[in-house]
Amino acid sequence: MEILVCVKRVPDTSENEISVAGDGKDIQRDDLVYSVNEWDNYAVEEAIQIVDRAGGNVTVVTVGGDDSEEILRREMAMGANNGILLKDDAFEGSDGKGIATILKAVAQKSKYDLILTGAQADAGAAQVGGMLAAMMDLPYASLVNKIEIIDDKKLKIGREIEGGNQEMNEINLPCVLSIQTGINEPRYVGIRGIRKVASVEIPTYGAGDLGLAASAVGVAGAKVKKIDYFVPVLGDGAEMLEGSNEEIIAKLIELLKAKGGLK
Amino acid sequence: MAGKFFSMRNLKFLLYEVFDCPALAGYDYYSQHNRKAVDMVLAAAAKMAGDLLWPILKEMDEHPPRLENGRVKVHADVKKILKEAGAGGWIGAHFPAELDGEQMPLMVGSAARFIFAAANYSGAVYADLCAGAAHLIAAFGSPRLIATYVPRMLSGSWQGTMALTEPQAGSSLSDIVTSAAPMGEGVYRIKGQKIFISAGDHDGAENVVHLMLAKIEGAPPGARGISLFVVPKKRPDASGYLADNDVTVTAVYHKLGYRGAPITELSMGEKNDCIGYLVGEPHQGLKYMFQMMNEARLGVGLGATAIASAAYYAALEYAKARTQGRKIHEKDPNLPQIPIIEHADVKRMLLFQRAVVEGSLALLLQCSLYADLEKITQGEEKERNHLLLELLTPVAKTYPSEMGILSVSAGLQCFGGYGYCDDFPLEQYYRDARIHPIHEGTTAIQGMDLLGRKVVMKDGQAFLLFAGEVDRVIQAAQDEPMLAPLSEKLREAMTRLQNVTLHLGRKARTEGVEPFLADAVLYLELFGIIVIAWQWLLQAQTARLALAKNCSQGEMNFYQGKLFACRYFFGYELPKTLGLAERLTAADNLTVEMPVNCFGD
Ligand SMILES: Cc1cc2nc3c(=O)[nH]c(=O)nc-3n(C[C@H](O)[C@H](O)[C@H](O)COP(=O)(O)OP(=O)(O)OC[C@H]3O[C@@H](n4cnc5c(N)ncnc54)[C@H](O)[C@@H]3O)c2cc1C
Ligand SMILES: Cc1cc2nc3c(=O)[nH]c(=O)nc-3n(C[C@H](O)[C@H](O)[C@H](O)COP(=O)(O)OP(=O)(O)OC[C@H]3O[C@@H](n4cnc5c(N)ncnc54)[C@H](O)[C@@H]3O)c2cc1C
Repeated sequence: MEILVCVKRVPDTSENEISVAGDGKDIQRDDLVYSVNEWDNYAVEEAIQIVDRAGGNVTVVTVGGDDSEEILRREMAMGANNGILLKDDAFEGSDGKGIATILKAVAQKSKYDLILTGAQADAGAAQVGGMLAAMMDLPYASLVNKIEIIDDKKLKIGREIEGGNQEMNEINLPCVLSIQTGINEPRYVGIRGIRKVASVEIPTYGAGDLGLAASAVGVAGAKVKKIDYFVPVLGDGAEMLEGSNEEIIAKLIELLKAKGGLK
Repeated sequence: MAGKFFSMRNLKFLLYEVFDCPALAGYDYYSQHNRKAVDMVLAAAAKMAGDLLWPILKEMDEHPPRLENGRVKVHADVKKILKEAGAGGWIGAHFPAELDGEQMPLMVGSAARFIFAAANYSGAVYADLCAGAAHLIAAFGSPRLIATYVPRMLSGSWQGTMALTEPQAGSSLSDIVTSAAPMGEGVYRIKGQKIFISAGDHDGAENVVHLMLAKIEGAPPGARGISLFVVPKKRPDASGYLADNDVTVTAVYHKLGYRGAPITELSMGEKNDCIGYLVGEPHQGLKYMFQMMNEARLGVGLGATAIASAAYYAALEYAKARTQGRKIHEKDPNLPQIPIIEHADVKRMLLFQRAVVEGSLALLLQCSLYADLEKITQGEEKERNHLLLELLTPVAKTYPSEMGILSVSAGLQCFGGYGYCDDFPLEQYYRDARIHPIHEGTTAIQGMDLLGRKVVMKDGQAFLLFAGEVDRVIQAAQDEPMLAPLSEKLREAMTRLQNVTLHLGRKARTEGVEPFLADAVLYLELFGIIVIAWQWLLQAQTARLALAKNCSQGEMNFYQGKLFACRYFFGYELPKTLGLAERLTAADNLTVEMPVNCFGD
């Protein structure tokens, strides 16, 4: 099975304190530590496991700057076979639809049986997978937390639904799936995998290589624009409990009882 | 943000900006470890440390290993840690490709080891012990021993140990009595007892492989009669079946700290059926051990630095969040209290910790670099790197070990009463850190090694090379207005060290070896402070260069912080050499002179 996994480089929330930048249009990005979007990492692990069972190749692709190459390489150290960097000044400022447009162009350059994205990334919009499927006229399932291969035409997939329940579906290949965390346990990257990929050349394509008009992507093509970022003002009514752990627990239980949360 | 136990920014500063680690990839042997690879290795180590080791730091302390039905039970995750350390190539990081190793520079491996140990020292040692023991087999064992043991140890399925200590032979290894009776073809029957053997048995590994010192019957007395053996817990036969090898665990020790790793007492040959396989030549065991000792001792220094690093970041976070008191000149009691990090004395404690942690880490990476260069250079250059590593190893083991305890103590102090209680990990770090001046040769043994062997070996050549290294940094710093006074201070301290060394040399000739070595630990302390000052000046120079370029506010704070920490070291720590030099050049031999019976009370 030929699998394309779309991955993104995002600020690592376990490494950074995130704050809003002075102009209110973005977060403060100076000196941030980045890593691969967590959902995408699950998607890559799932793809590697499918290829381990059914054969084929895993290709990871990202739209980003030179720095984004590091996450492609990381996912290749984990076991993906190929990486593709999509880089062009014209791509900057793309909205979700713009990113999907770029990904569609690269997906159509080869024949993929399965395209995976993460359920969401740092912007939290959870839109790229669905848009990509629609643009390519492929079947799509979101929040996928289980994949079984039925044959080379069909997959059986589980989706996470309300209340932590699961729904099972059959879906025809080729298709696009957006992957939920917890679907597997992503493997650790080791020195061995790193050594193998540290010096490989990663192909880079720009708008021209993909046959994309600059006006269809980036700021020029964006129909959704971020206009403000802010941390909500703290409302009244918040009460900080103080004291030792035991005291805080005792007070909390008292409060929960008083407000009917505990009988 | 999850708990921070080390600084990736600082590691990269040292590896890339101070020591130019990627340059090693220019040598064939290390060619696969370019900057991109090192970046990924550090990120991978941080991820594993954060996911696998850090979350069980406290659990491992609270549920120490137990001996049940002759088997040591450890935390259930130890098995997983060993497996991942094997699969990821972390155990085999420094082994050559022929042995399926990664040929990674020690400098990078030390950085990874530091990250793992900072997350959870106990959790990290299992893999380190496998690497150390396998290294001995790989270096001196027969092809058959290598083929049988090394791959399984590098994969983390068989635990490796170093089994040296016996009840009557701790510091004095030449007094071991464990015996080996020849059965032919390099096979011996082993009988004896070992104590304090780290990871000497546990249920996280399929088998345990002891690299054991023993005396072949009829061997010459003392150090010249000690041989090295592979003594497995279960011995594999030709078909791969693992038969019991008559190694009994008689006790697990209850320790002050470092409780996640079992330290065992072992009895060999209770049923007269314990087999050992000779490694290399007979009677060369101690020599082999010592040839591999540098790496193990650097490992101890890294462990000590790592624990102090974790303590520092916990203290730093607390000091920013805890409010207490007001600025000393502020009289208005209605003003809110301020974070304690604003008090000068708290800053002093934090600076002290940084000075120790970052100074020690720099030295350990510097030593790792000498080891890497020794491996790939030839002739005079090789010898130079070898001598520098030999000289600095006792310092790189001891300074972090001894000062690490004080550093963790300062971290604990930042927490006030909470530091003393188990709501925060500081009390654990304080207990965990205490092992380091004891194992792998106590501080006394390191002091004698430095002064009695390393400084005087080859007519003081190593010392001269070291003086040259320090002088290079002094020269480079003296043209820089801000650093010139510091470089002058370091020059004075070096002169002081040289004078003390000459004085002690005279003492050795005129009064004998006991007065010469009586205060070897103080000499090591003096030496250590100067070595760390050298590493701080080197870091400050790098920071100055970086500040001369354009950098972001965050970067500027980082480099400025480096300069403050360097100034702290020169202002608060380096002057201690004055007192030490005074004692070391005193005419009397107080400790030698005092008769033991005066300790009657
Ligand atoms: C947690 C832990 C893990 C360990 N792991 C291992 C292991 O894996 N393998 C192993 O083989 N051993 C191990 N050891 C043993 C360790 O190496 C010894 O404890 C150490 O070498 C000191 O020996 P000792 O305990 O017999 O102390 P002693 O040798 O009895 O020393 C007691 C004191 O006397 C001093 N002293 C001794 N001789 C001299 C001298 N000649 N001059 C001046 N001072 C002297 C020492 O510095 C020390 O302060 C471990 C110990 C511990 C506590
Ligand atoms: C075992 C134990 C027994 C105790 N018994 C008692 C008891 O019987 N009765 C009782 O009332 N209390 C008791 N205490 C509390 C003890 O007196 C306090 O822990 C101690 O005074 C420190 O206060 P703190 O813990 O709030 O630390 P903090 O005041 O928060 O101090 C944290 C750190 O900030 C530093 N710091 C704080 N303010 C300043 C400043 N203005 N300038 C410079 N540095 C500053 C401190 O030196 C310390 O390093 C006990 C504590 C312990 C651990």
